[in-house]
Amino acid sequence: MSKKLTEEQYRKTFSFRFRQWLDGTKDPYLGEVEMKKQKPFVEDAQTAAHRIQDEKEVEERAYDLEHNAEVRIFNRIYRVFAVAFCIFLVTMLLIGVSDLPTFGDAHNPANNEVAERYIEKGLEETGAVNIVTGMILDYRAFDTLGESHVLFIATCTVLILLRLDRKEDREANEADDRTHEPKNDVILQTVARILFPPIIIFGIYIILAGHLGPGGGFSGGAVIGAGLILYLNAFGFAKTEKFFTAKTYKVMSFAALACYSLAKSYSFYTGANHIESVIPLGTPGAILSSGLILILNICVGVVVAGTMYTFYCMFRKGGH
Amino acid sequence: MEIMEWVRFIIGAVFLLIGMFVFLVEMIGVFKFHYVLNRMHAAAMGDTLGLGSCFVGLMILNGLSFTTLKLFLVIIFLWFTSPVSSHLIARLEVTTDEEPEKHYGKSELTEEEKKGGEGR
Repeated sequence: MSKKLTEEQYRKTFSFRFRQWLDGTKDPYLGEVEMKKQKPFVEDAQTAAHRIQDEKEVEERAYDLEHNAEVRIFNRIYRVFAVAFCIFLVTMLLIGVSDLPTFGDAHNPANNEVAERYIEKGLEETGAVNIVTGMILDYRAFDTLGESHVLFIATCTVLILLRLDRKEDREANEADDRTHEPKNDVILQTVARILFPPIIIFGIYIILAGHLGPGGGFSGGAVIGAGLILYLNAFGFAKTEKFFTAKTYKVMSFAALACYSLAKSYSFYTGANHIESVIPLGTPGAILSSGLILILNICVGVVVAGTMYTFYCMFRKGGH
Repeated sequence: MEIMEWVRFIIGAVFLLIGMFVFLVEMIGVFKFHYVLNRMHAAAMGDTLGLGSCFVGLMILNGLSFTTLKLFLVIIFLWFTSPVSSHLIARLEVTTDEEPEKHYGKSELTEEEKKGGEGR
């Protein structure tokens, strides 16, 4: 017969604590691990006045329907166009859906013919030994182009939101670096000096060997981006600014995306019109083979590396 | 010859098991300790000894080939980078610590100590 425990005694037992942990009623780390409390939000008079002024201006310019004729007209046209666009989109999608075969049918082309074609003819048609690369950069290149553009647009948004506009602000932030992280660390600098070149070379290797084995633009670009971040952490903005600024990023990404679009437009054009493409596929397995895939891989790699590095810079302190 | 294969398998497996055990100890340490530097000490064990013996076990199991060289390079890379990252975390913790008396038994660090490894 089991003994009856009082409330006090029961609270000390393992089963009670286990129960608490299971229910999530008690955080075992609360009070044990050091945590800083969030500062309460305080606003000084000047910023408050500034904010109120801003809000008033926005109200007047964008929402004052009674006094602002421009806003009124815009609002009406906006509604009409929004409804028209929604109807157009819904109609297009419904037409598209009505033409689709039954979902999940085993005889659908997506369930047998597509996969078969990729495996049997992939090497012959794309020239890439790595079938996955052949798929994403040849059969489905349009999808990858969209992905690269998503990265580019995301970086643009982050630049708009986080970039410090004035140069003095950026310089003050840079001088204040000590509060954020150790600066000019000899150990880190030595290791970065040794490891930076191999990391970059490895990233380039992954990009260039994308059509021969595992790898490709996305993974290689991530490796190069990580290498650049290491260099930035070790040597600071003053040194990286010599070869990589926001402007460099914009030019590089734009060139890469434009190159990708042009190259792919060419192959879509020739493919749709049944013209023989002049770009040779080469021997499968050689580094210079598989037609456009190598170029597209390089473009994707450039975009991904730049995106990673710029994201890091922006989230670190809005510099550059 | 078959005996040699078995011996190799057993040695490799023993190395792997040692690595797994070290990882287990690391895991318990990370969750058991409450102060950054103590937790880092536990975590560093897995990064060096645990990873090292796991990879040595894999290398023995794999035999001599190009993959073995790659595994060796991975060990070199991680042994290079993991102490550096630990060093940075420790340095940041020491420079920004709010209760140095509780942790080091010393109320104020000297300027020299605060600067750590900065500059040359």
